[in-house]
Amino acid sequence: MAKLSVAQRGKIRRLSQPKELAPDEEGGELNIVPFLDIIVNILIFVLATVAVTFTSTIETNPPAGKSAGVRSAVPQDSLNLTVLIVNEGFSLKAQGGNVAPGCLGVGSGLSISKRGNQYDYAELTQCAAKLKASNPAYAEENQVQISANPGIAYEIVINVIDALRKTPDGRGPLFENVTFGVSK
Amino acid sequence: MSEPTKASMPQFKAALRREIRRRAHEPEINFLNITAMLDIMTIILVFLLKNLGESASAVPQSDDLRLPTSVLRTEPSQEGVVITVSKTQILVGDNRVLRLPSRESMVQSGVGTSNKRNGPNDLYITPLGNALAKARKTDKILRQKKGKDPSTSEAIIIADGTTPYRLLIEVMFTLGQNEFGRYHLMVMQTKDKG
Repeated sequence: MAKLSVAQRGKIRRLSQPKELAPDEEGGELNIVPFLDIIVNILIFVLATVAVTFTSTIETNPPAGKSAGVRSAVPQDSLNLTVLIVNEGFSLKAQGGNVAPGCLGVGSGLSISKRGNQYDYAELTQCAAKLKASNPAYAEENQVQISANPGIAYEIVINVIDALRKTPDGRGPLFENVTFGVSK
Repeated sequence: MSEPTKASMPQFKAALRREIRRRAHEPEINFLNITAMLDIMTIILVFLLKNLGESASAVPQSDDLRLPTSVLRTEPSQEGVVITVSKTQILVGDNRVLRLPSRESMVQSGVGTSNKRNGPNDLYITPLGNALAKARKTDKILRQKKGKDPSTSEAIIIADGTTPYRLLIEVMFTLGQNEFGRYHLMVMQTKDKG
């Protein structure tokens, strides 16, 4: 077998060089890394924002007026609880009349006074649970009317609704159906 | 000295093929093909932005409007005309219907005599009532088309936490007078109110 000549070896060396692609022959990929960075950042921002703005809604009906309201018809033997929020605390009214201070029976005075400068929501929950448990006929009742002095902030009203929603142990429902009363 | 004999053409081509094979190297992966991933991410982004913008629960929190917090965990209702009560104004949908006076003034006489139907003690806010009457008309048609009960409309009330009770009742009363029979009070969820 004849050997390759010098010229043939040179030609083989030249021809066997791997071909370099010209810039216009390459894939023509766009540099999308900055674009990706922006997209990922926006995505994380949007997801984080969604996570912190969880909202909820409390269902209610038009407020009950002084003479006529939309409060659902309640049977005679019902608690008919009304919570009045005043600047000094909560005044509760039930079937028997005004609930006495300390949630002890019927009597005049503010049912639950402020503790220091703060409304005592825990005591309100205790008192509402106690009133509900005072008669087996009240067990199914879930309606409460809330009224407040004109200057009471909406946030306090919502706190009262929260306090009246569940029993003190947080398990059973208390008064979940809320209507508003017009303050005089 | 004699010139060495040249290899034949088949031998030359075989040698060339061998050399090309020897020199050929594995193609390098210079870039990842992330087009498919990009497609997905862009679609998710557009979807999230659209959802966020359209959702009634997307309430921008600012000094003028800061929702009260609640331990409630239910899904927010998306059904109804949105009424926004901030510290300075009342909006129906995106339209401002009333600029509110100072909080002290609202505690005394609500939104003011000039905006009431029958004097300072009346609860009906006339500019809000007019806007709600229009909204009710549209909502009534919508409810009919959707096959829902058209006799009453629903409202989503987005109110600032410091809104005085008097103003809240005035807004609710005006809603009731305009055939809005069910309200959804929007609150921010919180884990604990310790």
